[in-house]
Amino acid sequence: MSAGKGIKVIVSMIGLDGHTTGGEVVSMILRDAGIEVVYLGVNQTPEMIVEAAIQEDVDAIGISSHASNYSLIDELIALLRRKGLQDVPVICGGNIPRHDIRTLKEKGVAEVFTPGSSSASIVNYIVANTGVRLGVA
Amino acid sequence: MKRETDYGYAIKPVYTPKDIEGFDYHTHLGDPGSYPYARGYHANGYRSRMWTQRMTAGLGSSSDANKTLKKYREMGQRGGMQVIHDRVSCSNIDSDHPLGRKEAGILGWPGSSLLEFEELMDGIPLTGQSITVLGSCAPSSLRLAYLIALAEKRGDDLSQIHGSVMESPFENYLGQTDVQPFDLNLKLFLDAAEYVIRNKIRIRAAIISQHFQESGGNNAQALALEMAMLKEMCGLLVNDRGLDFDDVANLPYELVTVGSRFFEEIAKMRALRRMWAKLAREHFKAKKEKSCQLLIAVHTSGRTMTYQQPLNNIARCAIQTLAGAIGGCTALDNATLDNAHAEPSSLAARMSLNTQHIVAAETGVTDVVDPLAGSYFVEFLTNKVEEEAYKILHEIEAMGGMIAALRKGYVQQILKEEASKKFREVDSNERLVVGVNHLVIPPEEEFEIPIQQVHAGDCESIARRMEEWKKTRDLPSIESRLNRLYADAKQGDRSNLMPSIIDAVKVYATAGEVMGVIRKARGLGYDPLNVIECPFALQ
Repeated sequence: MSAGKGIKVIVSMIGLDGHTTGGEVVSMILRDAGIEVVYLGVNQTPEMIVEAAIQEDVDAIGISSHASNYSLIDELIALLRRKGLQDVPVICGGNIPRHDIRTLKEKGVAEVFTPGSSSASIVNYIVANTGVRLGVA
Repeated sequence: MKRETDYGYAIKPVYTPKDIEGFDYHTHLGDPGSYPYARGYHANGYRSRMWTQRMTAGLGSSSDANKTLKKYREMGQRGGMQVIHDRVSCSNIDSDHPLGRKEAGILGWPGSSLLEFEELMDGIPLTGQSITVLGSCAPSSLRLAYLIALAEKRGDDLSQIHGSVMESPFENYLGQTDVQPFDLNLKLFLDAAEYVIRNKIRIRAAIISQHFQESGGNNAQALALEMAMLKEMCGLLVNDRGLDFDDVANLPYELVTVGSRFFEEIAKMRALRRMWAKLAREHFKAKKEKSCQLLIAVHTSGRTMTYQQPLNNIARCAIQTLAGAIGGCTALDNATLDNAHAEPSSLAARMSLNTQHIVAAETGVTDVVDPLAGSYFVEFLTNKVEEEAYKILHEIEAMGGMIAALRKGYVQQILKEEASKKFREVDSNERLVVGVNHLVIPPEEEFEIPIQQVHAGDCESIARRMEEWKKTRDLPSIESRLNRLYADAKQGDRSNLMPSIIDAVKVYATAGEVMGVIRKARGLGYDPLNVIECPFALQ
């Protein structure tokens, strides 16, 4: 597959959550689709993720979440706005309850993929939602 | 639909005596209570010792977790309790750490001090039930110190306390990380292990394949890793710490995951007992029969609990609980119907505990030991998973053992490949999961289950309490005991730090302080996350 050729994304854990499998499997799916993945791994703060997004000039940020109160994701969105990076979509994945998905989306998260999401749904979403910025870049 | 085991063996439609040619009852199985213990350790099975029926607790503040434990007791949890750490104390930092305070009480109990343990156990006896507190390797020595300190405060006889508070240091590589370096986790694990063995404390250490399988690893790999971990750990305690194997053998137990592939899971547990018995007798030259009996605690599989149609998970949990019971276990804790959403609500916890009670009381499974023995299929599968596991184990041994295989990245690689394979099998519909890729319903038809959560404000109040309480402690005593610990830790790996950790914990030094001081003595930064400075004058 090369649907994602030319797209570059970050996949990261946030905070102290150490359940890494989901993020690693998603990284594999994205790479198989031709997307360039910068995998940041565990213990990342919002500041570290934003810094990496600037350095790597990515088209989207994927946050893997196993257990959270999501306040760090709120901080990440706020920090991206302060740095003028509000057009970089933040996409979350993990076992996130439905009402938290609604809240996260209200606060600016672009999309949330829950367990059982197909690889096609994830790849298609990223391809469809990063094109505009690609043109600008 | 794929008809093969998770380790890739293609299953035939029928099994006959030909599939177990050469099978010898006494050599391969033995009666229940006899070597090689494939059929378990008790001649009368659950009639002489019922498995411990328990649920994992821990979420929010220590007082919240205490209330949950009390609720579980009302729900019939009497033989033993199990608590898991939050992400903050898993890392051995405190809840008032600038990064810790945002997540205190998430996913577990914020157990960073003896105070938190006292609150957790308020009104709950330390004796008469097994005390299990797990969550990651890093706080193992702290948990042991909390238990010893609280027993002393309460005037409990330490010899009457049993359970498990230690966890092997391999999980950092098996899909569940903490922030402490492997060498430090290993050293402190060995210190705690040596301490309980020399002092004849009946506290065990979990050697966990659960994280590996919950992260995607298969049954044959899990068995191989279990043996590799056990061999490495016991070898270090015998050879480096000078302990007798028959004393060491009382320390470990295996925490295994049981999923929905019913017969394969039962075969795995039977093979595990046989493989350990052989390792104990042939490799470690065990002199006592008890040393050949590895206790098995079962966790029914959280990874099989689907986000979609969560009520379906009740059925999965029941199948897995039945498999765990037939496989023969010492203790069992269930995943819950809401596992893919949050930590267990009290409704979900009650469902899961009741699932155990139903299996125990209503199915007849406790009447007869190892009821599937002699089934051509189950005996074949037991042999097969063992054979495949030995192949992997031999590869690990050729590399120099478990630690060497981790340093080479071998274990991490097989886990990564297997997790990807498991995902692809569902993604391509080779394996069907009801509600996920089979018989899917639209989201609006989903049943909304109650969700238990910790909010940012709850985390902050746990942190603020820690911050305020820290100032009220006897700081001169803490500083002097931490200085002792610092001096001991400077003496290198062979100086056992448990006595000075216990002394520091007794005057309420916290996990972050204890580990920070040990880290400093080893030339590391005080804070594993490089945010805070050491607040003590160490010399």
